Amino acid sequence: MLTIENLSFRYKGREANNLKNINLDIQEGEFVLLCGRSGCGKTTIIRFINGLIPQFYKGKVEGKVLLDKQDIFEIPMYELSKRIGSVFQNPRTQFFNVDVDSEIAFGIENQGLPRKQLEQRVQTTINDLQLEKLSGMNLHDLSGGEKQKIAFASTYAMDSEIYLLDEPSSNLDNESIESLHDYLQILKNKKKTVIIAEHRLHYLLDLADKIVYIEDGTIQNIYTSELLTALPLLQREKMGLRALDLQTIKIKNQKPAQQNDPVLAIESLSLFYKKHCILKDISFKASYGEIIGIVGCNGVGKSTFSKALCGLHKKSSGKIFYHGEKMTRQQCMKISYLVMQDVNYELFAESVYQECCLGIKNPNKKMIEETLTLLDLMQYKDVHPHILSGGQKQRVAVAVSMICQKELLIFDEPTSGLDYDSMIQVSHLFKKLSSLNKLIFVVSHDYEFLCQCCHRIIHFDDSQLVHDFFIDNHSKELFKKILKIGGSYNE
Amino acid sequence: MKKDLKQSYGLDPRTKICLLFLCVFAALVAPSLKYEFCLVVMICLLGIYQRVTRYALISFLIYFLIYKTTAILVQINGNFQVALIAFLGLIHKVYPCGILSGIMISTTRVTEFITAMYKLHIPQKVVIPLAVMLRYLPTIKEDMGYIKDAMYLRDVSPSFLGFFKNPLFTAECIYVPLMMRALQTANELTVASITRGIENPVKRTSYIQLGFHIRDIFIVICFIVLTCLCFI
Amino acid sequence: MNYQKNENKFNTKDLVTIGIFTALFFVFQLIGAFPLMMNPATMFFMPFGIALLCGPIILLLLAQVAKRGSLIIVGIVNSIIWFVTGMHWGMVIGYTLMGIIADFVAGIKDYKSIKLNILAYALFCLGPTGSFVVYFIDPSGWATTMLHNGTSMEIIKGLNEIAASWILPVILIGTLLIATISGIIGKKLLKKQFEKVGMIQ
Repeated sequence: MLTIENLSFRYKGREANNLKNINLDIQEGEFVLLCGRSGCGKTTIIRFINGLIPQFYKGKVEGKVLLDKQDIFEIPMYELSKRIGSVFQNPRTQFFNVDVDSEIAFGIENQGLPRKQLEQRVQTTINDLQLEKLSGMNLHDLSGGEKQKIAFASTYAMDSEIYLLDEPSSNLDNESIESLHDYLQILKNKKKTVIIAEHRLHYLLDLADKIVYIEDGTIQNIYTSELLTALPLLQREKMGLRALDLQTIKIKNQKPAQQNDPVLAIESLSLFYKKHCILKDISFKASYGEIIGIVGCNGVGKSTFSKALCGLHKKSSGKIFYHGEKMTRQQCMKISYLVMQDVNYELFAESVYQECCLGIKNPNKKMIEETLTLLDLMQYKDVHPHILSGGQKQRVAVAVSMICQKELLIFDEPTSGLDYDSMIQVSHLFKKLSSLNKLIFVVSHDYEFLCQCCHRIIHFDDSQLVHDFFIDNHSKELFKKILKIGGSYNE
Repeated sequence: MKKDLKQSYGLDPRTKICLLFLCVFAALVAPSLKYEFCLVVMICLLGIYQRVTRYALISFLIYFLIYKTTAILVQINGNFQVALIAFLGLIHKVYPCGILSGIMISTTRVTEFITAMYKLHIPQKVVIPLAVMLRYLPTIKEDMGYIKDAMYLRDVSPSFLGFFKNPLFTAECIYVPLMMRALQTANELTVASITRGIENPVKRTSYIQLGFHIRDIFIVICFIVLTCLCFI
Repeated sequence: MNYQKNENKFNTKDLVTIGIFTALFFVFQLIGAFPLMMNPATMFFMPFGIALLCGPIILLLLAQVAKRGSLIIVGIVNSIIWFVTGMHWGMVIGYTLMGIIADFVAGIKDYKSIKLNILAYALFCLGPTGSFVVYFIDPSGWATTMLHNGTSMEIIKGLNEIAASWILPVILIGTLLIATISGIIGKKLLKKQFEKVGMIQ
C-alpha cells in the first residue's frame, strides 16, 4: 500500500541529512512501530506520509513516497487527509474548537459531509471510543489524557485507512496509555493500517506487526515483537530503547549512604482550590539528598502540591518547617524552585549565560561558569535558550536554580517524551544534585525512571497522603500497583 | 458540565447579532432619555426571557440609578457637573448595548457563534483567525499563570510595581515566553488543522445546527418597532 | 502545494498565527485599558493603555506574516469582538478603518521596514480613539436632543467648550507617542531575542 523508495531528506537550514536512503514497504492492515533515539528520523518519516513534508516543512528531498503506486508529493494535503489521519504528541495544541463534539466533527466537516452523516459519525465515534462522559464539555476543562482521546476521536471520525501517530503517549499517565492501547486495538481489529513513532514500547508489543529500528536516519533493522524481546537487555539499552516490559524493571537507585536528619517538615498541610479541599492533612519529613517521587492519578493534586511547596499556592492551611523554622510563602519561594513540564515558561533571557544572571544583583561570573560546566552547558553559553533541546533547557533551569542557591527542587514530569539515553541523563543529573545535598521532589508516572533514581515514594489518593515508602525490592509490588502497571497488554 | 444545545427559549446567534445592530442604531438616534429608558427595560425583559434574570435585574437597577443621577445633575450648574455629564453622556450611549451584549455572550456558545459567522458568509480569512482567537484566549490565561509563578521563583515581581521599577526587564519576562509559546502553538495548531483537511476547497458543512424559530422573528419585530418609535 | 508558491495569499499558518496574535493583542488591550476605564477621570485616556502594551505583539506579527491584509484582519476581528461586547460603534469602525490604513502604511516597504511598521502600529492604535472622536465632534448634541426641557444653556455651553478644549488632541497625539514608544520597545525585543531564535524571516 505504502512504499518509500530511496528517500533522503535534509531540513532547510540544517547541514546533515535527517534521512538517508530509506526503503520501506507497508502493507494494508499492518501495524508498524517506528522506534529509535530522539532525532533518529522516525517523526520525519511520518511527516512524509501525511504530506507535512514537503508541503509544510521545507527541505531537500530525494527519492519517492508512493501511496497505492501514486506519488504522494503530487497529492495536496487535504486529499491525503481523507485517507490518512494524524495524531500528535501535545494534547494541548491539537484542538481547533472549544467544545468536544465540534472538535470530533472538525475533520469530517472539512470534508463537506452531509449533516446526517456528520451526526452518525460523531455518534459512532463517541460510542466506539466510550466518550459519552466527555460529550458536551469544554475542551479546556479536560485533562491531558482526555484531550488526547478527543484528538484521536477527531481522526477516528474521519474513518481513514491509515493512522499516523507521533509519540502519542508522551504526556500521558499509565491509565491513559492503557486507553490508548485499547483504541489502537480497535483500529487493529478493523484492519486499519497504523504507523506509530514511539519511545514507550511496552504498550505496543502485542499490537505491532513490524518494529522498525531507525538510527541516524537509516533503518538498521526490522523486528517482530518476539525478536525484539529476545534481544538482551543491554543491547536494547545501547540502542537507546526504553523498557519493553515494565514488570521486569530492576530497581537501580541506591539509598542515600548517610541518613541525614530531616530538614523539611510538613505538618497538616491542606490545600484548597475554589472552595474544594484538594489535599487534606498532609504530613511528612524529608532530608537533604533524598529524591522523592510524588505519584497519584491525574487531577489528585500533585501539581497543586508542588506549587504549595514553593510557596506559590495561596489557599492553604497547615505549616511548613525548614530547619525547624516555620516558613512563610515568600521564604518558601526563596529556597525552592519548580522545573515545569514545559520549561519554556521559565526561560526569559537571550543567552544561557544571561539567563543565569537574570534577577541577580552582582552575578558571580566564576560560579556561573562552574555551574554551567558541571551541567555540560558551557558550550551553549551564548546560545539562546529557546533553541536548545528539551533536555538541555531542563539543565538550564537546573543551572539557574543552583546559581540562585535553591535547596529544594521540584520537577514536574521531567521525562515526558524522552528517549532512553536522555532519561538516564536526567536520572544521573538527579543523583548529582542529590550528592550536592539538594532535596528533590519529582512528580512523575514514568515507572522506569522512578526506579532508576528515586529513593522514596509519596502517593496521593483521594485527597490524602496514602503511602509513604522507600523503594526497594519489598515495596516493588505495591509501587507497581499504585502506578497501575500491569494492564491487559502485559498478560 | 453539559449544556443543552437546543433550549426551548434559545435564540439563533444571527438573531442576536441583528438585535445588537438595532440596539446600536437605536442608541444612536434616541430622541430622549425616556426613550432610552424604555430600551433598557425591553432589553432587561429579554434577559429575563433568556433566563439570565439576576443579571437583567441588576443591570436595570444600575441604569435606574444612572438615569436618576443624570436627571438631577441637569438641574445643577457648575464645571464639575458639566464634566460629569459629559462622562455620563458616553455611558448612556453605550449602556443599552452593553447589557444586551452581556446577555448574548452568556447565552451563546463559542461554537454557535463561529457557525453563525460561517453561515453569514463571512470570508474564511476572517473566520479562521476569529475562531483561533477565541480558542486561544483561555490558553493565554493559563500561560500567564505559569509565567507569573516562574517570575516569583526568580524573585522578579510580575506586578505593576515591578513594571514601573524596571519596565524593560519586566516586559521582557512577560512578553518573551508568552510570544515564544504562541509561535510554537501556531505551528502545532496549523499542523493539526491541515492534517484534518482545513484547506479543502469543498464547502464546509456544520455539525452544529442553527435555525430560526417563531420566537426569533417575534423578538426582532418587537425591536424593529421600538427602533421605529425613535422617528415618531 | 499551490499556496506555497503564491507569496501574497494567506495560507493556513498565516491565518492561525494572526488568530493567536490577535488573542494576545486582545488580552493586552484589556490589561492596558481596564484600569483606565474604571476611573471617570482617566476614562478618556484608555487608548494610552492599549498603545503602551501592544507594540511587541503587533511587530512580531508583522515579522511573521509579512503579507498584505494581516493588519486589516486584526482590525476586523477586533471590530467584531468589540461590537459583540457592546462597545461604542466609533471604536468598532475605528479598528477596521485604522487596520486598513495601518496595513497600507506597513505595506509601502513590504512590511520589511521596522520604522514603517512602528508607524503602522501607532496608527492602528488610533482605532480605539474612534468612540471619543465621534463623541467630541458634538458633545452637546447629545444633551440637546436627549435632555430637552430642563437642560440649562450653561451646561450646553460647558459641553461645547469641552469640544474646543485640549482633550481630543491630547488623546490622539498622546496615543501616537505612547504607541511609538511601545513600538520601539517591541523592536528592541525582536532584535534581542526573536531574531536569535530565527523566528523572524
